[in-house]
Amino acid sequence: MTLASPPSSVVSTRILDRTEVARDVILLGIEAPELVEKVRPGHFAMALLPGGQAAGVALGIYEARGERCSLLFFIAGDRTRRLGALRVGEMLDIVAPLGNGFDCGGKARDIAIVAGGVGIASVLLPAQAFLARGARVRLFYGARTAERLVEAERFATEGCDLSIATDDGSRGHHGVVTELLAREPAPEAILACGPTPMLRAVSAYAQERNVPAQLSLEEAFGCGVGGCWGCVVPIIGSSAQAPSFPPSDADGSDVVHARVCVEGPVFWAHELRW
Amino acid sequence: MVDPSGFDVSARIGSLVLPYPTVGLSGCYGSGAEFAPYVDLSRVGAVVLKSVTRRPRMGNPTPRIVHTPAGMLNAIGLQNPGIDWYLQHDVAKFAQTPCATIGSVAGFSVDDYAYVCERLAARSEIAAIELNISCPNVAHEGETFACDPNLTARVVRAARATTEKPIIAKLSPNVTDIGTIARAAVEAGADALAVVNTVRGMAIDIYRRKPRLGNVTGGLSGAAIRPIALLAVYEVARAVSVPIVGQGGIETASDAIEFLLAGASAVGIGTANFADPRAPMTILDGILAYMAQQNVRSLRDIVGTANAGFANSSQFEGDEG
Repeated sequence: MTLASPPSSVVSTRILDRTEVARDVILLGIEAPELVEKVRPGHFAMALLPGGQAAGVALGIYEARGERCSLLFFIAGDRTRRLGALRVGEMLDIVAPLGNGFDCGGKARDIAIVAGGVGIASVLLPAQAFLARGARVRLFYGARTAERLVEAERFATEGCDLSIATDDGSRGHHGVVTELLAREPAPEAILACGPTPMLRAVSAYAQERNVPAQLSLEEAFGCGVGGCWGCVVPIIGSSAQAPSFPPSDADGSDVVHARVCVEGPVFWAHELRW
Repeated sequence: MVDPSGFDVSARIGSLVLPYPTVGLSGCYGSGAEFAPYVDLSRVGAVVLKSVTRRPRMGNPTPRIVHTPAGMLNAIGLQNPGIDWYLQHDVAKFAQTPCATIGSVAGFSVDDYAYVCERLAARSEIAAIELNISCPNVAHEGETFACDPNLTARVVRAARATTEKPIIAKLSPNVTDIGTIARAAVEAGADALAVVNTVRGMAIDIYRRKPRLGNVTGGLSGAAIRPIALLAVYEVARAVSVPIVGQGGIETASDAIEFLLAGASAVGIGTANFADPRAPMTILDGILAYMAQQNVRSLRDIVGTANAGFANSSQFEGDEG
């Protein structure tokens, strides 16, 4: 993506609502009117843990409307457990908006959005953007089990066509979500967010069918603002996304390590060299 | 040099006087500009840039970061564009940062350090040079230059011969006697010491049954290493009389003051920026509040005061203020 990152800041927000949408899956509504104006689909936030002592947690911004944004996350370790323990009325500082976001322009009228697990948190805003301009949005949503398949109905209500897969077959297709995608007529454009194996499969599919695909990558972050080079991904150095990158190695290769937090998190599938 | 609040919080690193004692650490703080939206960089003492090497480096494969209890492991692997590209494209931007910019040099031979140091130090945008002789993530079997007093001395001496600018040697905690290494660095001409780099460590994914870091091993930082780093500062302050930039898990003003009392003249802030990018501001404000409460007008008056064997009592004499 070549979209410029917006100016970010530390935003002090108040927790408006907290819903455990499934076991260990938390939806936190936060009061952040100034953020709503700046957020674009695919942006993320670094949620600063109350009391510090651990790096912030990078979270996709799930909703942004009126004065409220929301963050949807799975409790997967100590840091997300601390975030999940926040209660309504408490304060949460976040650094946002961060990252380049999805490009929701273009003329495509038939969009496939592929989401795996907590990747669902980053795809509601782009789905809404495409639906708002009259495009058809098909959501291919995969999770480990039916219990982990959160917010699917929300996407249906928004107007998405739903295709569901679970690893254990407890709901929808018994298998991985990219098998469902391959079974259907090819879309004009793909957006995807989820675990790396899923993104690799989406990327392979997109290149085989010659469909432009934007992938929002998952990587362990340090700072989240471009200062530590912890969250890199190999991409071609002459890509639009990394136009000013230096040669990355002495071997003359055209592959560079771009930062997922600044040059991404959204990358064109055909520019990745992973 | 006195803060508008009336307190002198300046720190001296050789001939370089920092108006504030807080330093954004190499590899954690970009060029400083990445953090400009969240902090007032004119109230940060200095930024130490990410290390640069003779040739470009792609760095290590991912994952490069693993979060661990009270800290994190990193294994970036000195990704950098190499000194040629760096001088041509990056260095001029550093002049725009409203605080001192300290260059960081890494290498794989004594000659590498001298070569890169000479070229980088020649630039007016660079106020001082830190020699990163202690990066655990490119080392052979964990051995770095900073694990050996002779190698430490050879690197420092070679770099010293190339520049008059202050040289800071960054020491490793992964040694038996850090005082010996510190003495070797100072005898070879280091103006100051950065104490300490990360502590070697690793983490294993029990379901994949594989190390979590792409590089297998990494450097541990954050609160988990603070007592280790504090002791290292304490021991180095007894061994040598040059200024120390204390670093390793400093998150709060209280942490920073502990390092000052142990003998550090300035404090480095690294991983704490990831927990809250405003950390250098809150730490400075906390230090000023402590000084007001303790009736300390000049921060240097407390440096080393918790260290009975502090070797450093004369280092601040002179007319710099």
